[in-house]
Amino acid sequence: MTAIVSLKDVQKYYGTYHALRGVTLDIAQGEFFSLLGPSGCGKTTLLRTIAGFEDISEGTLILSGQNMADVPANKRPTNMVFQSYAIFPHLSVGENVAFGLRKRSDLNTKEKAALVQDALEMVGLVGFEKRAAHALSGGQRQRVALARALILKPKVLLLDEPLSALDKKMRDQMQNELRQLQRHVGITFILVTHDQEEALIMSDRIAVMFDGEIAQLADPQTLYRRPISRRVADFIGVMNFLPANASGNKIDIPGLGAATLTPEQCPGGTPSGPCTIGIRPETMSILFGTEPAPARETNGTVHELAYYGDMTYYDIALPGVEKPVTLSMKNLVGRRVLERGESTRISWDDRALVAFAD
Amino acid sequence: MTWLRGYAVLYLLFLYAPIILLPIFAFNDSTIIAFPLSGFTTQWFSEIPNTPALVKSVQTSVIIALTTAVLSTTLGICAARAGAKYTFPLKAPILGFIMLPLVLPEIIVAVSMLVVLLALGLPLGSWTVVLGHTLICTPFCIAILNSAFANLDPSLEEAAIDLGETRASTFRLITLPLVMPGIIAAMLISFTISLDEFIIAFFLTGTEPTLPVYLWGQLRFPQKIPVVMALGTILVVLSIILLILAEMARRRGLHRTGTQDSGGFL
Repeated sequence: MTAIVSLKDVQKYYGTYHALRGVTLDIAQGEFFSLLGPSGCGKTTLLRTIAGFEDISEGTLILSGQNMADVPANKRPTNMVFQSYAIFPHLSVGENVAFGLRKRSDLNTKEKAALVQDALEMVGLVGFEKRAAHALSGGQRQRVALARALILKPKVLLLDEPLSALDKKMRDQMQNELRQLQRHVGITFILVTHDQEEALIMSDRIAVMFDGEIAQLADPQTLYRRPISRRVADFIGVMNFLPANASGNKIDIPGLGAATLTPEQCPGGTPSGPCTIGIRPETMSILFGTEPAPARETNGTVHELAYYGDMTYYDIALPGVEKPVTLSMKNLVGRRVLERGESTRISWDDRALVAFAD
Repeated sequence: MTWLRGYAVLYLLFLYAPIILLPIFAFNDSTIIAFPLSGFTTQWFSEIPNTPALVKSVQTSVIIALTTAVLSTTLGICAARAGAKYTFPLKAPILGFIMLPLVLPEIIVAVSMLVVLLALGLPLGSWTVVLGHTLICTPFCIAILNSAFANLDPSLEEAAIDLGETRASTFRLITLPLVMPGIIAAMLISFTISLDEFIIAFFLTGTEPTLPVYLWGQLRFPQKIPVVMALGTILVVLSIILLILAEMARRRGLHRTGTQDSGGFL
């Protein structure tokens, strides 16, 4: 892997506040990389240090082989799409997109105009160049910001929560378009987001950040299936947590019985003694009638349920477990929705379990 | 509701009746300021250019007002920019302190400046009036420019730098055009304030009176009063035009940055 962005033990202090606590990270050329975490975790600070808007207190940042210690933001091979899009309100769409070309004395007016046309075409805004910036919708502003940043063909495109201001439908559409655009241009994208679903959908790899540190760096599937800690698991999707007790590679889980876990199922290290077992709702299912269990099974009662249309979420009370476990069932044709208080059998697969040391 | 309407009419009458009298008597064909009116004339207006001392005082006032407008707006830009962009120790007290002349009685400012200037042995003249006017106009400029700079999304400047511009060219290409309506408004307002300011000018002007000081001096001569009224009429119209221009500039600025209106002078 040739790293286009390489951070080594990057520290950032604001006065006494320690915003980045030793971030080490390599991002490959052409990768769609996401920084995911709750607000205040340092993900935006990290993005801004890469862009050059914040100095690094300690550590090194290398962009495409060059140490960035003394390189100011306007000389870096990065461009940014801001959360507010930062479209210059006194300039037209065309002038906004062409703004970065001002310093390119090697191009004549005609060549610049052609580049602007290409950039507008890329984001689907042909014919908008005369439009005033404040006469654009949220999605259009987003596209102008993208075209303006990509026209300079940066080594790395930085995106600071670019979709958070859009409504749900528009967001879904832009997620798709952004991913396609990234594949098309082949530029490394670094996306900052607090939306775990967005990160999972778009990224090649995701760094989950808490308190100025990377908690886990993995591809979306590993991150979802094998979260390294209970905190990461809780942040990505929904997971049931059951108290358990480990001795050797055997784990005793009240309510689910004993299970043997592979080292892979203990991504944070094999626990011993009291620990926590995690299981995702969609990996468990309800057994109807005398349906045989595909894997292990146990009895429970429906404590609460939520009907979502395509899915039904059940909270199932298990004997010996304090908190009901949540599981989800697709509402297939002919499949009954259980009622509150109904007894049922549930099934799960031990391979879906993840163990966390307490 | 009916009594409220009556109250509003009385209120407006109380506010503007004296100003309405000004143009009425400026066109009245009599040196006595009293009803009934005797006839229509533009004589008083045509007498204005034939009074050299008056013309001179107008010139002095305009020069002082222009200098004050440029100085106080420049200071206002620096203060508003610093307040909007940077954090520094004692920021709130410092910003509060430079706004103080806004509420300080002008007579206090005038007397203390006079004492200081005399103590320093400096001669009084147009430039001392400029000094005093800049002191009282700067807070107004800061108040106007604060909203212009505060409405500016900081990522706009970052975006320009990100796209390869330097700090200086970013200020020229992005910041300045976006706050320009605020700058124009600040200049117009400080120009207007300086032009009709009396107390400070009265204390600090040397041998060259400003227009308000000259007018005050003319009040002793009843036959000059209609000319004063004619000039007053011109000044009122001019002030209103300038204030309207200032407000238009401010609103255009809001429209440009796409932000909501949050007050203003009109």
